[in-house]
Amino acid sequence: MFNYYELLKQFISTDFKLRYKNSYLGIIWIILKPLATFAVIYLIWSNIFKMDADYKMGLLMGIMIMNMFSEGVLNGLTSLMSKAGVILKINFSREVVVISAVTISLIDFFINMIVFAIFSLSTPVHPTFIGLLLFLMAIVSVFLLVLGLSFFSSIIYIRLRDIHNLTIVILQLIFWMTPIYYQLEMLPLNLQRYIKLNPLTLIVTYARKGMINGAGVRGEDFLQLGIVFLIPVILFTAGLIFFRKKITKIAEYF
Amino acid sequence: MELDKPIIELKNIKKNFFLPHEKHDTFIEYFSHPERLFRRAGEQYEVLKDVDAKIYPGEFVGIMGRNGSGKSTLLKILAGIYTPTSGKVITRGKMVPFLELGVGFNPELSGRENVYMNGIILGMKKRDLQKKYDEIVAFSELEKFMDAPLKNYSSGMQVRLAFSIAIMADAEIYLLDEVLAVGDVAFQQKCFEVFRKYKSDGKTVILVTHSAGSVKEFCDRALFLKDGVLHDLGSIDKVIEAYING
Repeated sequence: MFNYYELLKQFISTDFKLRYKNSYLGIIWIILKPLATFAVIYLIWSNIFKMDADYKMGLLMGIMIMNMFSEGVLNGLTSLMSKAGVILKINFSREVVVISAVTISLIDFFINMIVFAIFSLSTPVHPTFIGLLLFLMAIVSVFLLVLGLSFFSSIIYIRLRDIHNLTIVILQLIFWMTPIYYQLEMLPLNLQRYIKLNPLTLIVTYARKGMINGAGVRGEDFLQLGIVFLIPVILFTAGLIFFRKKITKIAEYF
Repeated sequence: MELDKPIIELKNIKKNFFLPHEKHDTFIEYFSHPERLFRRAGEQYEVLKDVDAKIYPGEFVGIMGRNGSGKSTLLKILAGIYTPTSGKVITRGKMVPFLELGVGFNPELSGRENVYMNGIILGMKKRDLQKKYDEIVAFSELEKFMDAPLKNYSSGMQVRLAFSIAIMADAEIYLLDEVLAVGDVAFQQKCFEVFRKYKSDGKTVILVTHSAGSVKEFCDRALFLKDGVLHDLGSIDKVIEAYING
């Protein structure tokens, strides 16, 4: 569409502007908040539990990915509803609303990456070029996964407000069903099988591997992640079709 | 004019809304009547029963009708926000709807930031907005206030800013809903000049209003909407008469 991209940029930049409006430190919070949050986690796990370097950085990476996932899912879910005032007054490509909401969580992730880089000064990570490719592929698959889900949930949310509360509970469940604080190998074998069914398990695993232990990345890792990658791609395509079909009929239910 | 294709065609537009008959929002209420989870009690309420119209390029058309006659629903269908229950809308040209001024305005953002937000939502390019920015501010007479947050503007100032952005939107068709009633007399005069300019530029304008004066002054043609049916009574005077007599 004619100004798809301009609209996307405008929605995203407005969101960031509003977030830090009326605060004294303003835009500095964008770095300060994750820095402080990560410092707490990092200090606890290195001083109290004395975990090794790879574990600590893997923990940060896992939390970052799960944050992107949960915030993206919630942003996406409420995206149409929160723009109801605009949607009911003017006709434009509604997809932009959902895409911008989810992209905000992706941008937050990359801002967190700066903080991750700061921590890696004291606890080095070992990415390689190939490792970074695997890492990026994992991040893109989270993005598409969230976007695909949001194309469904943002529409359903307008008719069925219950899914907001439900989603918060499910996100908690998904968080603990993904090896973030624990390692997959710690679990009994029969439980491991179920945890592996969660696509985020493999996504987080390969994102960590690519970023923290790049030298260990093999061709089969790409293949495995590639198979997982199909889920977001299918979900995204199905979501977009669903969204385009339903969006024209949804306006009167806002 | 007969040679032209209509720029807007409305063909047998009907629009129903679901009108619930009983209130049942809580779990207990569902629990006592589980079937209502799937079928709510209520009826289909016909807001628009039969709307047929052809509007030609360059026409300035007024639509009058009492409250609840379906004017806003009709405008939303024209703007592509609602889909009609049945019937068809054909538009041939770029349309900018002004169902409300200042769409996307955020009270926390400054006047300047809101100009860009609203302008881009109206389909303008950021580059063009930058070029026209001074013109927008000058028209609104708000030069001193552009860096203040919108929440500190009076409602009159907000409307002035919104209107000044709106008139920069370039389109072939404009949908205007009751926006004539903005600002003081001097600002209204400025707005009327804009309408005259639309007219002399050969733009197509659909104006929904309660003001017989505006219809008389600007419109080439008027349509009367009553109980969901759009009547073409032949002349503007007849429409105004019908409107006044209900």
